[in-house]
Amino acid sequence: MPFASGYFRTSYARELRLVDTRAQAASLTVFLAALGAFPFVASSFLLDLANQFFLASIGAVALMLLTGYAGQVSLGHAGLLAAGAFTVGILVKEANAPFWVTLPAAAGVGALLGVVFGLPSLRLRGLYLAVSTLALYFVVHYVGSEYETERGFSTGIIVDPPALGPLVVSDARAWYFVLLAAAAATVVLALNLLRSRSGRAWRAIRDHETVAEALGIGVPAYKLAAFVVSSMLTAVAGALFAYYRGFVSIEAFSLFLSIQYVAMVIIGGMGSILGALLGAAFVTLFPYAIEALIEVLPTPERYANLVFAVNYAAFGLVMVAFLLFEPEGLVGIWRRVRDWFVLWPFRQRPLAGTK
Amino acid sequence: MAELAVERVTLRFGGLVVLDDVSLAVERGELCALIGPNGAGKTSVFNCISGLYRPASGRIRFQGHDLVGMKPHAVAQRGVARTFQHGELFPHLTVVENLLVGRHTRFRTNIVGETLFSRRVRAQEVEHRRVTEEILDFVELGRHRHTTVAELPFGMQKLVGFARALALEPQLLLLDEPSAGLNRDEREDLARFILRIKHELGIPMIWIEHDMQMVADLADRIFVLDYGRPLAEGTPAQVLNDPRVIAAYLGQAAA
Repeated sequence: MPFASGYFRTSYARELRLVDTRAQAASLTVFLAALGAFPFVASSFLLDLANQFFLASIGAVALMLLTGYAGQVSLGHAGLLAAGAFTVGILVKEANAPFWVTLPAAAGVGALLGVVFGLPSLRLRGLYLAVSTLALYFVVHYVGSEYETERGFSTGIIVDPPALGPLVVSDARAWYFVLLAAAAATVVLALNLLRSRSGRAWRAIRDHETVAEALGIGVPAYKLAAFVVSSMLTAVAGALFAYYRGFVSIEAFSLFLSIQYVAMVIIGGMGSILGALLGAAFVTLFPYAIEALIEVLPTPERYANLVFAVNYAAFGLVMVAFLLFEPEGLVGIWRRVRDWFVLWPFRQRPLAGTK
Repeated sequence: MAELAVERVTLRFGGLVVLDDVSLAVERGELCALIGPNGAGKTSVFNCISGLYRPASGRIRFQGHDLVGMKPHAVAQRGVARTFQHGELFPHLTVVENLLVGRHTRFRTNIVGETLFSRRVRAQEVEHRRVTEEILDFVELGRHRHTTVAELPFGMQKLVGFARALALEPQLLLLDEPSAGLNRDEREDLARFILRIKHELGIPMIWIEHDMQMVADLADRIFVLDYGRPLAEGTPAQVLNDPRVIAAYLGQAAA
């Protein structure tokens, strides 16, 4: 329409688009171009940070599907990452299996564990469900550490860089593109699920389980599906993590890691994929920010041995602060900032009495 | 044969008898009102039909199948749709999304196709989106299609709940106090929609209602429950003049 007086959707198919307006398509193109150019200008430190973020974002999006959309709490996320990583480690060590075998195997193990983690959700809710996933985390953790000690890999398992035919993914730049592709695929997959029947069923279950059931949604099946999808993605993230670090050790999968993923979902903003990504970025960068802050102090060497303690404490404080003051998370802040720019020079104030 | 027949249903919670030997039947195209004082067990009848409660004894036959013991989602898949007393919508979903959840059982997609958003999934989404628009037209909520339900006033939310039940393309519609909390205009709209469903779609309905004027005007037949026991049954003229019904509502002296 050459002289359209506004922006109109003229078919139902247009409502389904992930990228709708021309402005959105343009900004997405610019964003992707920037992502593509980033590894050619960034230092190796920044490149490693970006890779860590991509890995974290896969896990965060997976947990967001489960907790933020399907409403099922899980503290077992580190166990699923460990399961993926150990599937790779064990298959590489015991069978010298290649990349294209270990990754699907990790996904399979993730799916299986998803069913196991999900079964309690058919009976339990909220805090009780969280505790049952926590118990399962300890089971996975135990199996991993037993494998390490029994097989004499008490310091961890070395994993060679993956080879895709003659192409060996070993340097950080190659990893950047592999992990970027994996993270992007995860985001697209999650958005696809959310704009179709399963995603709506999950959100319906989160809001009103009985009503969802009375409308014909097989609640147990959809809860299990949420656990399976989330666990598969998480296990794949764990597998990629094992290859990226070139090393698998159960110590990397402490309970604190589970908490970090829950924090990503809360700090980012419940019920938003963008929130999961923002949360993943925040939690990944947070320790480096604390370290940099301590470096700025007048005598940094005196606090060097405090960095870890300060890091943990500050992390806890930030999480509490978000829960208290910004329940909508980073994505809530982002929306407010965006609205401010959209409405400028006018200002939006909530009506008296609302919130 | 009746479309739905509730036969001698008894429901107990521990020692408390909630429904005691309740029977009722609805024919195709019939609008049956279910009335009774607060706590008479009207909603419990609905919960038994839709599988949320399991009666201790009795049968519930719908189109020849016994619904007792079926899971709620299986009952819905058979075409039994209901609304809820307090709306009970999905507050974070938009009006269209609420209706699409109502159409859940009508989708023919699987989760693998959905992750890839295959051509089939896309076609189904478009088709069902089109049908929701017809329903939105029917209940005159088109302009709110993309509003998050939590932002709508209560009366409109109840109408969305009504539309969500219709979206299931039901063979039987259970309406749990659809007019409660609605103002006069909204009630008149609701009455019009109920009559249109009856005349144009012929869907049998059971309708729990406290507005006796509305019941007298619209219902084909009335069942009265009192303390879980069937009290009276018949045309509005018979039932509403029955001294036992008046006594149940207003006390012995009034009768």
